[in-house]
Amino acid sequence: MELGGLVLVALLCLVFHLRLPGRLPSEGDYRAVAERLKAEARPGDAVLLFPWWAERARLFVPPDVPVYGYLGSDRDDLTAHPRVWVLGQPELPRSDEDGFLASFLPERRAVGTPTREGPLSLALYENGRHRPRRFVATDAYAKARVYLESPDGTRRDCPFDGRAHRCPGPSHLYVAPEWHEILYEPRRCLWMHAPGGPQRLVAEFDGVPGGLGLRLEGGIIWEHAWPKDARFTTTYMGVDDEASGSQLLEVAVPPGLEGVQKAEVRLPEGEARTVKVWVRSENADRRQVCLDVLAVEPAVGVRG
Amino acid sequence: MMGRAPTRDEKRLAWALWVLGFVALWLTEAAVGYTRDESVYFAAGEAYASWFRQLFQSPARALTDAAIVRAWDYNHEHPVLMKTLFGLSHLLFHDALGWMRSATAFRLPAFAVAALVPSLSFLLGSALYGRAAGLFAALAFLLVPRQYFNAELACFDVPVAAMWLLVVYCFWRALEDAKWGLWCGVAFGLALASKHNALFLPFVLTPFALWRAWTASEGQAEARTWLLRGVGLFAAVAVFYGLLVVSLGGGEGFQRKFLLLSPHTLLFVGLAVGGAWVLKGVGKVSAPVTRAMAPILAMAVLGPVIFYLHWPYLWHEPVERTAWYLAFHAKHNHYAWFYLNTLLREPPFPLAYVVVKTALTVPTSLFVPMVTGFLALAARAVLGLFERTRPWVERPVTLAEALVGVNAVTSILIISHPQVPHFGGVKHWFPSMVFLGILAGAAVSRGCAALWERLKVKRPGLHFAAVAVPVFAVLLAPAAVYSARVFPYGTAAYSELAGGLPGAATLGLQRQFWSSHVTGVLPWINEHAKQGARLFLHEVHGGSFRDYQRNGMLRNDLRPVGSPLDADIVAYQYHQEFREHEFLTWQAFGTRTPVTGLYLDETPQVVVYVRPEPR
Repeated sequence: MELGGLVLVALLCLVFHLRLPGRLPSEGDYRAVAERLKAEARPGDAVLLFPWWAERARLFVPPDVPVYGYLGSDRDDLTAHPRVWVLGQPELPRSDEDGFLASFLPERRAVGTPTREGPLSLALYENGRHRPRRFVATDAYAKARVYLESPDGTRRDCPFDGRAHRCPGPSHLYVAPEWHEILYEPRRCLWMHAPGGPQRLVAEFDGVPGGLGLRLEGGIIWEHAWPKDARFTTTYMGVDDEASGSQLLEVAVPPGLEGVQKAEVRLPEGEARTVKVWVRSENADRRQVCLDVLAVEPAVGVRG
Repeated sequence: MMGRAPTRDEKRLAWALWVLGFVALWLTEAAVGYTRDESVYFAAGEAYASWFRQLFQSPARALTDAAIVRAWDYNHEHPVLMKTLFGLSHLLFHDALGWMRSATAFRLPAFAVAALVPSLSFLLGSALYGRAAGLFAALAFLLVPRQYFNAELACFDVPVAAMWLLVVYCFWRALEDAKWGLWCGVAFGLALASKHNALFLPFVLTPFALWRAWTASEGQAEARTWLLRGVGLFAAVAVFYGLLVVSLGGGEGFQRKFLLLSPHTLLFVGLAVGGAWVLKGVGKVSAPVTRAMAPILAMAVLGPVIFYLHWPYLWHEPVERTAWYLAFHAKHNHYAWFYLNTLLREPPFPLAYVVVKTALTVPTSLFVPMVTGFLALAARAVLGLFERTRPWVERPVTLAEALVGVNAVTSILIISHPQVPHFGGVKHWFPSMVFLGILAGAAVSRGCAALWERLKVKRPGLHFAAVAVPVFAVLLAPAAVYSARVFPYGTAAYSELAGGLPGAATLGLQRQFWSSHVTGVLPWINEHAKQGARLFLHEVHGGSFRDYQRNGMLRNDLRPVGSPLDADIVAYQYHQEFREHEFLTWQAFGTRTPVTGLYLDETPQVVVYVRPEPR
């Protein structure tokens, strides 16, 4: 009986190995998917990978269509994108399509018929979680006024050199959009390393429209967020209204808090305003902040 | 069973298995990339070999501490038996004779030592459970992809597993033949000289020696008295060492006052002399008790002596440098490690980690018999303890079986401790895997025997091999397919239970480590990189870059750089803890689209980016 069990296990293992190659896409499958995306994808569309790690698709997807696939991307709202193409491999071992759909489907609606290319599936969805963007700090950074601000209000300017606003002091004190990881998620965000001490690093943006949601999204990049060592200090990032001096948003990131931190406030209707985006931390060590500030409309929701 | 010499046939088969292992490893090694550690050991081996040259040319100068430190200071966090063999092999087969490429010459001694595992597994398994069990254990070891991969490397994890097995084998043989007691001491010294795992061996073997000596001296008052004298001697030496530590103000004071002529040395000499006296005394009254005690004394005396003698770095400063070595491993760094969607960075680590990782990496058709083999042994041991259940057990667990069972779990239990570093895949508990292989062999052999008995009723002339061969083929075939499929990317191997590599990626397990999978993209880089291109091979040690060029696997005109910012080409190694490095490449190159990569069963392992030409 013991031997029977062992032989049965071995036969099942053999079946696994024999079936596996048929569950893997060929280069031709990927090229066919890429052709469809090239023909049908619109500006603003995105591709979401399922399972999240199946990144070979990046080799083939047209470069102008952003590809999302990171640990946790199943739950990503992808608010920047009105439509999302899900490029899936549901036949891979341990692919949990139901689990993926449970995270992905709310507020989304399938458009058209999904297609198959070998084991690859491609399905288009209308993204009800999309929030049209009226202001993005990362896009507007070149026109920002950047400076180091002391508690008494004195300022030291960080002049723009065509690529970044560089501050006096250490070379990491500058403001520019960059790609960074915040808890596995790739984000193009404004690099704003906390300067240390009581001073703040401030970027001032004009023309933020009223009557919208003002969102602050950011965090400490990579492994620097993880240590809880007592010598590190809490990082504060926030947004102030320049005219009134009132604080619109503030987020505290204590040592050990990983991931993208988010806060939102609804701006009153009215004229566009100037906002001060700032960051500070008493001890600058390992306080590598990357953030973005957005003015967004409410989620569009799904039609029908 | 108290140990037995192999039969002539068993010896022949053991040699054949050694040759098979050695040749297989040699024939396939060229495809295996250089792990981060391996290039360090290559360099260390070369440095050590250069000292031997100096010793030959100018012995007086070579023996000074300055000359020794110059050659042996590099990588002094590990003892040097294997590295010295790597270096001498390189000196002979590559530098002097020019018979083989540099990396092969370094690795050759590793193959020779690794091939001892199938050979000794067979001998021990065959003696305990029959030839089929031994053969299955031997073949099973080579068909676990991660074990085979590690056996290819000029590193220490498979060698120390081989040495561990050798010590246990010698110990077991010593129970039947006194001269093997001495060999046990020598083997223990070699194990200590291979890697620090061996430090745990005395704690595993001493209880067996005492058990054997105690039962063998039953009813023999004089033998029992000599046994107790021996135990008393060890205990007294231990107490005196303890008192020395206390009286000298702790470990530091103990270390400072440890000189050639000091109570510390005197105690060691006392142990050796006293031990010899006890052995001589007990030898006159009881051969079995002598045989049980001899390997322990030999380990206690020869182990430290061989460890000291094999490592020139210790010759002038034995105490301070040994203390540094031990402290280094007692406080080893913790490297980030991805496990079930969590990045483990510091203790406490999950208690089940080792068992889960083993289950998800060892081919399932081999893992299951390991489990049933171990459980059957454990069940027999437990049931045999109680009078009521004893009749249920067909035959009681022998000391030798218990020895195999305990060694099968020792390394697993040690590494399972939540405070012990958990990086490095499965390599840190290879010594356990060797013995689990023997228990798997026992399970399979038991099953074959039962089936054979049944079939013999209808076909009395049926040979056992007619049953065993097809069963072996079925059980080993999935492991062979899996091994061939994942080779040479051993650190990415995940079993059928995990769902293979794709299943493991979804489970959130470490995709790979040690950087050797970069070989999967080197041919593309060699073909497409522009002349003199700057190359950032993420995670690849500087020494490995040099070794790839030295061994003709990477074009010599390509230049290593330390960051994507300075690079024309980036080969990013997919690690969950290093995602930032890929995004820095996006930033530096202004593109998120790779040009090629190594994707194993769809899982990204190495992703290559090329800096777009300026428009």
